Amino acid sequence: MKNFNYDTDDLIVALATPWAESALAIIRTSGKNSIEMTSGIFSNREMLIEAKHNTMNYGFIIDPETEEKIDEVLISVFRAPNGYTGQDSTEVYCHGSLPGIRKIIEAFKKVGFRDASPGEFTFRAFTSGKMDLTRAEAVQDIVSAKSREAQSLALNRLSGGIESRINEVKKYVLNTVSAIEIQLDYPEDEGGLAYVPVGDILKAETIIERLLATYKAGKVYKDGVKVVLAGKTNAGKSSLFNLFLQEDRSIVSEIHGTTRDYLESWISIGGIPVKLYDTAGIRVSADLIEMEGIKRTQNIVENADVVLYMVDGTKGLQEDEVESFEKYRNKNNFIALWSKTDIKGVIPPEGFLGISSQDQNGFAALEDKIKDIIFNGAFIKGDEAVLDSERQKNLLEKCLEELKLFRQGMEDGVPLDLVAQDIKEALDCLGEITGEVTTSDLLENMFSQFCVGK
Amino acid sequence: MDYDSIVVGAGHAGIEASLALARMGFKTLLITQNLDQIGKLSCNPAIGGLAKGNMVREIDALGGEMAKLIDASMIQFRILNQSRGPAVQAPRAQADRFLYQKLAKKAVETQPGLSVFQDTVTGLISSSDNKICQGVITERGNRITAKSVIISAGTFMEGKIFIGKYTALNGRLGELSAIGLGAHLRERGFTLGRMKTGTPARIKKTSIDFSKMEEQSGDATMYPFSFSYDEVKDRPYVPCYITYTNEETHRIIDANMHLSPLYGGDIVGKGPRYCPSIEDKVKKFPDRNRHQIFIEPEGLDTDEMYMNGISSSLPEHVQEEFIRTLPGLENVEIMRPGYAVEYDYVEPTTLYPTLESKIMSGLYFAGQTNGTSGYEEAGVQGLLAGINAGLKMKGEEPLILNRAESYAGVLIDDLVTLGTDEPYRMFTSRAEYRLNLRHDAADIRLFEKGQRAGLRTKEDVEKFKEKVKNIDAIKDLLKEGRVKKNILNDVIKENALGKTFYDLVKDPDVTIHNIKSVLPELAGYSDPLLDHVELDIKYEGYIVKQNQQVNRFMKMESVRIPLDFNYDAIEGISNESREKLKKIQPLSVGQASRISGVRTSDIAVLLLMLGKGGKK
Repeated sequence: MKNFNYDTDDLIVALATPWAESALAIIRTSGKNSIEMTSGIFSNREMLIEAKHNTMNYGFIIDPETEEKIDEVLISVFRAPNGYTGQDSTEVYCHGSLPGIRKIIEAFKKVGFRDASPGEFTFRAFTSGKMDLTRAEAVQDIVSAKSREAQSLALNRLSGGIESRINEVKKYVLNTVSAIEIQLDYPEDEGGLAYVPVGDILKAETIIERLLATYKAGKVYKDGVKVVLAGKTNAGKSSLFNLFLQEDRSIVSEIHGTTRDYLESWISIGGIPVKLYDTAGIRVSADLIEMEGIKRTQNIVENADVVLYMVDGTKGLQEDEVESFEKYRNKNNFIALWSKTDIKGVIPPEGFLGISSQDQNGFAALEDKIKDIIFNGAFIKGDEAVLDSERQKNLLEKCLEELKLFRQGMEDGVPLDLVAQDIKEALDCLGEITGEVTTSDLLENMFSQFCVGK
Repeated sequence: MDYDSIVVGAGHAGIEASLALARMGFKTLLITQNLDQIGKLSCNPAIGGLAKGNMVREIDALGGEMAKLIDASMIQFRILNQSRGPAVQAPRAQADRFLYQKLAKKAVETQPGLSVFQDTVTGLISSSDNKICQGVITERGNRITAKSVIISAGTFMEGKIFIGKYTALNGRLGELSAIGLGAHLRERGFTLGRMKTGTPARIKKTSIDFSKMEEQSGDATMYPFSFSYDEVKDRPYVPCYITYTNEETHRIIDANMHLSPLYGGDIVGKGPRYCPSIEDKVKKFPDRNRHQIFIEPEGLDTDEMYMNGISSSLPEHVQEEFIRTLPGLENVEIMRPGYAVEYDYVEPTTLYPTLESKIMSGLYFAGQTNGTSGYEEAGVQGLLAGINAGLKMKGEEPLILNRAESYAGVLIDDLVTLGTDEPYRMFTSRAEYRLNLRHDAADIRLFEKGQRAGLRTKEDVEKFKEKVKNIDAIKDLLKEGRVKKNILNDVIKENALGKTFYDLVKDPDVTIHNIKSVLPELAGYSDPLLDHVELDIKYEGYIVKQNQQVNRFMKMESVRIPLDFNYDAIEGISNESREKLKKIQPLSVGQASRISGVRTSDIAVLLLMLGKGGKK
């Protein structure tokens, strides 16, 4: 029953367009007071609260915690009983970058929305009578198809490897729950009771952490990463950029920005799609257009997954770039390059990777370093199964959180009836991925493992 | 009509049902096969336990009798699970079972409006279309009419006991079963099945060497189960004893397994997993080299002792052989052997949540007859069947308790929605919202429901109001006072400075009793009341979280499905779901959603149809 929520007042949010890079994306919400709640992450709150049905409202999505502007958007407002679901609802038209979409959905969750279950918008449309009753059967098919998907999302999509890993976690958690429940249901004086195998929970946590790492790695393969070349003009960035392009035979696309801004191109590094940016050199300029270009460069650098900072090996670090160099070097996604090492006497100092676009010296080492940063320990081994559903990832994260809470509670001596709640919630999360664990399953497990009963 | 209501069977369900009906003002007849066996504790001589103790207190909160009977007959008392969290603590008491029976008999005999009569019911009188129950027919040919009938026959419908190869048509050892009623119900189209349960041997106290056993005493203070009493008066404290089986015991049992009716295939009914016979324990857990056995007194004026944990249906000589391998029992004399009993039960999914039959109106089933196990499970069903039969005769709304407010609600909802294929025992694990189901707050949850049913006296109401008032007063006191420097000590530390006492109690290391010395007004309240408030405060945060789930749950419970709802008229639900919905006839969408095998998508359709039912 936990797999499908019939409560139609909950605030739900979901991406309505496919999960892919695109020019525009639409994020949809529904639920009681959803317009007011959406206004909580919108730059122009009052306008949205007062907006009439079927209007478009321009503004910014603001992170409610950091108050950072996330994206420039249009929000259309639908008021009950109109609109697709028949409830108050909003649609956010935003830019189609995947990290941006994720940030917007996260912002929605911070103000009380939750991920919609598959089919939930349709279900609401259906319950508020937005659909013709004579079509009940047709609609039912839609809902059932979707909710079945919800139940085992993805048993279907789960590769066998992932399923068996999650079942392993579930087994550990279920055994722990059983041990606790047996204790709660039989008095202290009765023999045959179990100790609580907290070690099992540690094992479960390790597996979950590993699965989450594969998700991260999987996302890298699917969504790609941004690598930015920064440094002064003539430091050798363009040569390296071209070298990357030459090396890579599977160029997806090539888009030229304004020459004064940056160049970008999709390349592949060891199978990972990488969007490589060659930025305009960082320098002081009075030219308004050029200043705008520099500002954009900084923006790109800040949003990059990996920053390659190139210093001209023949000149060394220049005074006018020290400030920006220092600014980036402390981040963990930073690689400092020392160019033109083919020239005699050019030797990279400590902390710099020497590279030559002429004889390609250092190029392989650079590729490895880039991969190190991208995966940050989350390499996928050979044929390891990769978690690829965001919903599953969210459930596993929640599960992990509850397990840690449970262990903390056990350590702090929180009464067993309370820690039991935490670990049952962890079990519910797993149940949402692989199918619910019912009370009778639990009792079965309890009595098959522990011999109790006066 | 001879009576308003007839209750068949005077066990724990029948007592509660008949008392409730008579107290509600209905002329009631309680029929039993043997007047000397009213309220018998057929198996272990104890009342309460985990989840069960909560139910005893629920029975009391609603206006039932069980708590009062045990309060006046206990010979040992313990609060279980003291180390495992207040929400799952529960009281249990050893009973003097002869005294318990005597008090139970007296309660029904002295109840105005209630007649007690010895006879055996073998059939029902019903309207010509078989749809309305109008009374009962007995073995001796009596035809007694009534507007409602409650059947609480325990293990007596077609009951059969087994000891090795020996079998007898008994409901309990030496007591004839009610032959004919089960067959009669089957003929009338009721769905019945077979279940089995067992009980251990009773042994002679003077033949036991207690020096080889561990003594187990109860708590230092006995607290009453009943909210009507402030204390337990003048009861003796009697210990129990613990001993263990060993490899020799197991060897003997294993060597004689073929003589067990359980493993020989003679018994077809399914037994309880949670209370396995010693044969089951040996067979299913071969790695365990010992099992714990409790030796419990059956009463003050008897030499019989109960052997908790070693129920068996092996031949008597085998029972004697293996029991004598236990330390302290080398020379034991068996007074009654253990046995298994197999009996008819009514498929509880054929009942509404009021426990009224879907097949015949005015007919109710309660207790072990519905596939449950345990005195407490039986008692609470009897009480609710009685209350609902009464409310129906009054033309009032039924009393259906929900899963979030009581173990009783969990029990009945599980029975009528899911059914059961083994004797059903309550566990705290069965309750989704057990933090809300503390035993000490059963009256806060349920008192007013019993009052509405007409089971609470004026004095009860006054007492309850007083309790609620006092709880509020204590909380106010705690909210007013703040921690000052001069009261700091080992327990109340620096970091508590400036906090209200109310917030201070939330600290896991602080109890309300630590505050007594600085807040002398608290001394005017009883310890159980102070403990109650402390738990309210300590669990507040968790309860708030749980209540969000409860609210969501209640939303679905409150979407009612009319009894005459036509499932055949709904297009677009699966045939499997349709059949199940027609069979269970859930009263709410919440209940419908718990039926196993009903698809979530079909619930969605159902919700839609109910919301827009008027429109076509």
